[in-house]
Amino acid sequence: MGLQYLFVFAQAHEEFRIPELLSIAELHGFEVTFPPPPSDISRPFMVLELESEVHARILARRCILVKFVCEFYGRGKAYEELHEQTRNNREKWSQYTQDTSFKFFISAYNHTVPQKRMKDVVESFHYMDFQGKIDMNNPEIVLACFEEYRDKRGTTRHKHEGDGDFEEVFFGRLLEEGTARPLVKTFDVKKRAYYGNTSMEAEISLLMANQTLAAPGKLIYDPFIGTGSMAYTTAHFGALVFGSDIDGRQMRGKEKQPGIIRAAAQYGVAHRIIDLCTFDVTRNPWRCGELFDAIITDPPYGVRAGAKRLGRKARPDKAPRPKPAEPFSSKRPDDEPYIPPTMPYELSSLVVDLVLLARYLLRPRGRLVFFLPTVTDEYEELDIQTMLCEGMEVVANSLQNFGTWGRRLITIRKITSERYPPPTFTSAQDTPDDGKAHTPAHKDFREKYFQGFKKAEDEQFGETTET
Amino acid sequence: MVRLITHNLLACHVKGCTSNNFPLQFKDVQVELREAEFNPDFLRGFIPRLEWGALVDAARQLGDTSLPAEPPEMLDDDFLQKLHHVLLEVHIEEGAMICPNCNHVYPISNGIPNMASAYHQPIHNVVN
Repeated sequence: MGLQYLFVFAQAHEEFRIPELLSIAELHGFEVTFPPPPSDISRPFMVLELESEVHARILARRCILVKFVCEFYGRGKAYEELHEQTRNNREKWSQYTQDTSFKFFISAYNHTVPQKRMKDVVESFHYMDFQGKIDMNNPEIVLACFEEYRDKRGTTRHKHEGDGDFEEVFFGRLLEEGTARPLVKTFDVKKRAYYGNTSMEAEISLLMANQTLAAPGKLIYDPFIGTGSMAYTTAHFGALVFGSDIDGRQMRGKEKQPGIIRAAAQYGVAHRIIDLCTFDVTRNPWRCGELFDAIITDPPYGVRAGAKRLGRKARPDKAPRPKPAEPFSSKRPDDEPYIPPTMPYELSSLVVDLVLLARYLLRPRGRLVFFLPTVTDEYEELDIQTMLCEGMEVVANSLQNFGTWGRRLITIRKITSERYPPPTFTSAQDTPDDGKAHTPAHKDFREKYFQGFKKAEDEQFGETTET
Repeated sequence: MVRLITHNLLACHVKGCTSNNFPLQFKDVQVELREAEFNPDFLRGFIPRLEWGALVDAARQLGDTSLPAEPPEMLDDDFLQKLHHVLLEVHIEEGAMICPNCNHVYPISNGIPNMASAYHQPIHNVVN
């Protein structure tokens, strides 16, 4: 049995907690043992087993969702139970009883412990018999106690009503505060030198970067880089980043120095942005595959930014344009010599193409990390299977729920070392709609979004989008 | 931007242009040198992905003759430093890259190359 550590998580993105821990453990090559099921992942406390304290500290320093990590001493539905466990764990803390300066840290989830009872709680630990001096400012050890209350939001109550009526209480020695969590402030989009209306919020950009296993010496690619939100966080963790976008204006902004480079410079990582290129990823210039350690991207799903690819929309009602007599002149006023026509890119085929592209461009064991918007009521596990191809497996699938719709952060690993040809980006045509194949709920997401996710009674949208 | 590592990975992808489409040739380029972090492990891992001859030629075109014609057996620090400089510290800010086969011009402006190709245009229409 490994050593037990109490993890206290931020009160957000609960489905992202375990994938993040597992990713950082994989990056550093160690194992995490989770409590046996059934465990309620919505709770912000978890007692995990690790081989060493070093591993616990690594997780505290890199995981965005970790608030505190403690050496675990005891837990209970009531303090009696907690004290009994703590007594049984005497060998873990007896070394501190002689002359170690200490303080207690009493905290609660969904509640505020009144000052008066804090004193009682501290005194209930008298049996530990700590002889060292109490030092509130700079103690050698901090003993942390966390009470977990039910969510009481939406009820009218007195400030301290229900005090002591907790679900469970946890106790241990504080090892580290989560030092990666303040990065959420560092990367705040509002304080960024350059951003756009599709920029990804800081916390999610950081979580995505952790899913890619970003680290020094790795090369990571964002094929829909836009305003670069995930480039900054992956580069922060040491990776080199390559970006491309169909629309060069998104990467450039208005000034001479490209916007992404300006924002990267603000975070001190401009030198890690290897290059930015304008091209449509379905017409990409990559000379060969197996180039990248990870692909990280938020593909356009057509709500704020339309998903586009090069090509002309099929317009059967119009006669084809006459061919110009003269070849196109490249002398145009702005720096983009030729802006080719684009056509919409339906989400489910975009995603299938993205996975095929990742299989081609990733090195073996490389990861693809991206967001998939889904309609909450219609989503099925099977939806994810429709996008997979041979050699690619799902590592994590975490929902960020917005109500009627949500988006899932999908992490896929390349499990093959076989070489595959570049994708043809014709998955939509290659799989004839014979009515037998499973239709994922994210198909035609844009149309569903703008129709307010009406129930499938009107099966109209399936047809209206065919045109 | 447009470092030589990038130049070494990009081929012309105009429809029908599938042979002799790499490496792209530089034209009227403005070069800047900028320091980058030295990471020997990254370089060692990346050498197998490089088209060595194309890298050496590109560096020579820009006046850097520090790289040997063949990658050495022994990847010592001195060699890796030179490779680091050529791959990651030479930036092409302005100019163009031209396909040796179809002559398609990929312009570079403020360090960002426009690698979009007009795929529906036949090759002869794209020639500048």
